Amino acid sequence: MNDTGNPPLIETKNLVKHFGDKIAVNNVSFEVYEGEIFGFLGPNGAGKTTTIKMIVGLLQPTSGTVKVAGYDVQTQPLLAKASNGYVPDTPNLYPKLSGRELLRFVGDLYELDHQRVERRIDELLNLFDLDQAGDDPIDSYSHGMQQKTALAAALMHDPRVLVLDEPTVGLDPRSARMIKDMLRQMANRGAAVFLSTHILEIAERMCDRIGIIDKGELIAVGTMAELRSLGKGETSLEDIFLSLTGGAEYAEIAEVLR
Amino acid sequence: MTDAFLADAQSVGNLWHYVGKLLRLRWVIFYSGFRRAKLRGKIGTIVLGLLVLGGLAFAFTLSFLLLRLLRSPGLEQFIGDTGLLLAGVPVLIVSAAFVGILLTSFGVLLQALYLAGDMDFLLSAPVPLRAIFIAKLLQAILPNFSLILLFGLPVLYGLGASEGYNVLYYPLVLLVLALLALAAAGLASLLVMAVVRVFPARRVAEVLGFLVAILSFTCSQSGQFVRFSNISNDQATRAFTLLNHLNSPWSPLAWSGRSLVDIGEGRWLSGIGLLLLTLVLTGGVFALSLATAERLYYSGWARVQVSTRKKRAIHTRRPVAAQDRELTAAVNRAIPSALRAIVVKDFLMLRRDIRNMSQLVTPIIMGIVYALLLIRSGGQPPAGRGEAPPAVMELMKNLMVYGNVGISLFVSWLLLSRLAMMGFSQEGKNYWLLKTAPVSTATLLSAKYLVAYLPTLVLSWGFLVAISLVQRASLGTLAFSLVVVALTIAGTAGLNLTFGVVGANFDWEDPRRISQGSAGCLSALASMVFLVISLGLFFGPAVLIKSLGGSEAFSQLIGLALGGAASLACAFIPLWLVRRRVSRLGEA
Repeated sequence: MNDTGNPPLIETKNLVKHFGDKIAVNNVSFEVYEGEIFGFLGPNGAGKTTTIKMIVGLLQPTSGTVKVAGYDVQTQPLLAKASNGYVPDTPNLYPKLSGRELLRFVGDLYELDHQRVERRIDELLNLFDLDQAGDDPIDSYSHGMQQKTALAAALMHDPRVLVLDEPTVGLDPRSARMIKDMLRQMANRGAAVFLSTHILEIAERMCDRIGIIDKGELIAVGTMAELRSLGKGETSLEDIFLSLTGGAEYAEIAEVLR
Repeated sequence: MTDAFLADAQSVGNLWHYVGKLLRLRWVIFYSGFRRAKLRGKIGTIVLGLLVLGGLAFAFTLSFLLLRLLRSPGLEQFIGDTGLLLAGVPVLIVSAAFVGILLTSFGVLLQALYLAGDMDFLLSAPVPLRAIFIAKLLQAILPNFSLILLFGLPVLYGLGASEGYNVLYYPLVLLVLALLALAAAGLASLLVMAVVRVFPARRVAEVLGFLVAILSFTCSQSGQFVRFSNISNDQATRAFTLLNHLNSPWSPLAWSGRSLVDIGEGRWLSGIGLLLLTLVLTGGVFALSLATAERLYYSGWARVQVSTRKKRAIHTRRPVAAQDRELTAAVNRAIPSALRAIVVKDFLMLRRDIRNMSQLVTPIIMGIVYALLLIRSGGQPPAGRGEAPPAVMELMKNLMVYGNVGISLFVSWLLLSRLAMMGFSQEGKNYWLLKTAPVSTATLLSAKYLVAYLPTLVLSWGFLVAISLVQRASLGTLAFSLVVVALTIAGTAGLNLTFGVVGANFDWEDPRRISQGSAGCLSALASMVFLVISLGLFFGPAVLIKSLGGSEAFSQLIGLALGGAASLACAFIPLWLVRRRVSRLGEA
């Protein structure tokens, strides 16, 4: 439980992932609570996507546990996955299915009632402005349309936990804004939203709490105020991030080049 | 960037310098790929090189034999005057080279200009557009031109030597072939742009791949029906006359070949005249095609597709009748929706991705060819030299009753090596959708099993029933054969799917390259061994007991019990053994 009495919907404990000799994720522990938007930041190759893949059941941890909606992803995978919605960084979707067929497929995978599936498809296609393209094959969609289709697929079963890896990449400003509003609405309705992003402005404005991972280790977790107290007087998330992950020297190099 | 650099980059004099740079880049990519390849890949490339050298030796031998045949008195008796035929050889080869390069360059240029993804990078670099196009055209021509030289040059040079042609003939052969290749590639580039204007490039590549695969496979299999020993003098003469038609004085393709023969034989005036005509025509076609292609590509004409597809009307859902609703509800209750969803999705993907179709149509063509051969044999075993004991011939005859089962199972074996073996791999990079969904291993395996089993069963039964009807097989034999086929396919599907789990590969772009590693070979071997054993168990008792005069029905029952047990064991046990691997798939 957190301070407001909400239970954690995502809970990782001492999560470790090795790829051969390489340690991708090392002893990562955090919780994401009901009604919370949690931003997950880190430099390229820091272990963000690996952590996300372990949360959604795409990768088996080397050690440690992940619980989603109270279910252990390793021992109760079906229950954990039924609570999850996932949007990957690259929206690989079956190219020869239409958007509508893909959503129907996902609805059936989650064992939703047929009538609910059809109603939900219409709602989501309309919401994401895909109703005109709903019957076209996905391989004719632009990157942004595929990203929106992936998001619609993740929302089909109205998940309690939504995990998004770089959700706004490739989206036009209108769609990006719509997604940000929707994530906030979901959190207000009691879902836990976990998102990784490189756009620090989004993290700063949207997220209730932020976790920063570097070289596989979680180096900071907290609200913006808590993160500011960790730094050396920095006020913006960008400065805090660079200070914590050792990127501040690049600003000095840029200054010299100027 | 300085003005001097820009002027230098755009000058015609430096065009070939940039072409050289771009071709060197291709070489560096190839060499770097070879250097970094695994040992197995390096050995494969070296073996391929040796095979090409072997092909060269074969081509020389073949041309030697061909020329000896053309000069033989026997052939003269068979088709009449061979002089005309010999004079037509250069025309034939040059025409074949032109058409061959035109067709093959189409596919290579489609890939190089629209699908390779490096055009934007090259166009944004300070490299003349013309140099990029010339490099792309050369890239398209070179492999096919080498092949044409490999097979055409020995014949053309052999002809020159045997007919005592002038020494100028030899370098001119190379020049003419090169010019024709360039003209063909130029025309191919225009053709690519015209097609891409109407259809999406990726779709064109898919259809082209399908057509080429089916055409080449059909051509290779049609040889089964040809009986060369039955070709008559008349048919041979007609075939050679048809070849002579290519050598028409009005055909521009014939001019190049005729110019070579005329120069070779010392008819300078006509030879040089025709050669000049060839040079002007091919050079003109190449230059015009190049300039037009560049302009069309750069202006975006070829990128803006003219939609030929009508926008689909939005379907309004018709009210579902109460009876239909009950039926749907019953189906929904009987089959879990996740299983149904995966099966439906896989069928849609298989049907819509035309790149899959060539792999799926191949077994059908093979089945039709062998079924026709079986029907043509009249169901009788080959007599050979007639020395086999009557008992063996009787046994063979009894076995031939089940020849239709053999063909049906051969078709199913081919089909299952695609549908079951690649059942998981075909998910490719989309596998995350299944892996993150609450779908149990049992459901996933069942769905993939059904996707492989059901169409194979339908197709194999179709073949079996069709052949049995033509052969007028008894109802009892047909019923027995149907059960045998259903059970054997169940076992083969189980084995193939097991190897498909073990060797699953999700990292591919083109479905024709799904299969990777040794799992595919092992799967084919294991399922073939299983087929032989299960057929022995199914038909052994039936054939033996019938030969000894026993009851056919009883022998078939014993066969069904033995073969059925083996098939069901292979359908379930291997999958049960690899069930734990399924939950870890895609984690490499």
